[in-house]
Amino acid sequence: MNFIKRIFSGMKQDVEPESPAVVEETESSPVAEEFSEPETEPAPSFPDVRRVLQIPAISESIFPENSDAVLIKAQPSPTGDQCLFTVNRSLMNGHSWYFVDFESAAESALAEALFCLEDVETVLVCECTVTITRKDKTLVDWVSLAKEVGAAIRGALEAGEGLIAEKIIADMPSEDEIREGIQKVIDVEVNPGVAGHGGNIALMAVRGNSVTIQMGGGCQGCSAADLTLKQGIHTSFRKAVPKVGAIFDETDHTAGLNPFFS
Amino acid sequence: MPKVNTFKVTVQTGQQGMSEPVHFNFNNHKMEFQNVSGSAEPGKNFEGNFEVNSFAHSLTLIGPESGKWEIEKISVEYDCENEKPYTVQFGAITLDESTEVNIWQDPPVPAFDV
Repeated sequence: MNFIKRIFSGMKQDVEPESPAVVEETESSPVAEEFSEPETEPAPSFPDVRRVLQIPAISESIFPENSDAVLIKAQPSPTGDQCLFTVNRSLMNGHSWYFVDFESAAESALAEALFCLEDVETVLVCECTVTITRKDKTLVDWVSLAKEVGAAIRGALEAGEGLIAEKIIADMPSEDEIREGIQKVIDVEVNPGVAGHGGNIALMAVRGNSVTIQMGGGCQGCSAADLTLKQGIHTSFRKAVPKVGAIFDETDHTAGLNPFFS
Repeated sequence: MPKVNTFKVTVQTGQQGMSEPVHFNFNNHKMEFQNVSGSAEPGKNFEGNFEVNSFAHSLTLIGPESGKWEIEKISVEYDCENEKPYTVQFGAITLDESTEVNIWQDPPVPAFDV
């Protein structure tokens, strides 16, 4: 206790030399001016807070133009939990589809071929990309499985059969149905859940059956945001709106001002 | 987040430029560029770099204190530790006294042909 007192008394001594100058100024002023002093004091100067604008980087094509061959690039995620395959052909025009297992892949030649690979867990097809998660979560080296996936995609494209089942395309919900369902699950389930950490999720766009969200408040810049997104938000969205396809997160996590787990 | 050794910015100004020094914010620290050449006057190219040697959380190009700065193109060459040097291009944007633009981008995720 005495130690703490000494610390505070030491701090007070450091401050005291500056205070007489302030007292002298106030003593020399008339009483009426003393009352108006707070108004005349200069406001504390804080750095200007500017609005940070975001512009997308100009990306160059990863494939040579007008190539007849089926070209595929594999891009494992930094965490190694999934791998994105980009193809120089359209796989599903304007929509996306999430295949959870082999049964869901019935009559979709592309997904069937991929689920024939032992380690493939889920398949997400979106425009000219396929995203794969694997069963064995302990492996982060994708080279071996990626080659098998590449061969399966190439094989399905060259076979020329229906890559995605006609029933899936025919029963595709409208953007309004997707928007309404996702907004409802955000309002009722997701946002009340993340509010405890000062976070919030906003639905930014719906294109076909793909949705784009943005994480704000305590979620923006939070080190657990990826976990929240994949295990919380994705699961809630897919449970409530089974026909939702790709879920994009356009949060700029580097701009988070108050992340919960920083 | 990678450790940035150095980065070099090239800014192509459009019809409306500025005569103030060009500033950037690295992790919310406002600084001026080193080895500056050219200018941000209308139609001119500005070049500047900075030896950072620190981990990047954010990097922005700051707008002028007064007036508008019409930018046609921004090119940023990054040299980060344990990464291949990479370049990021951004398109047109107009900055003013209330805005700054994000020019940070993580190194590209490695990809391979399959």
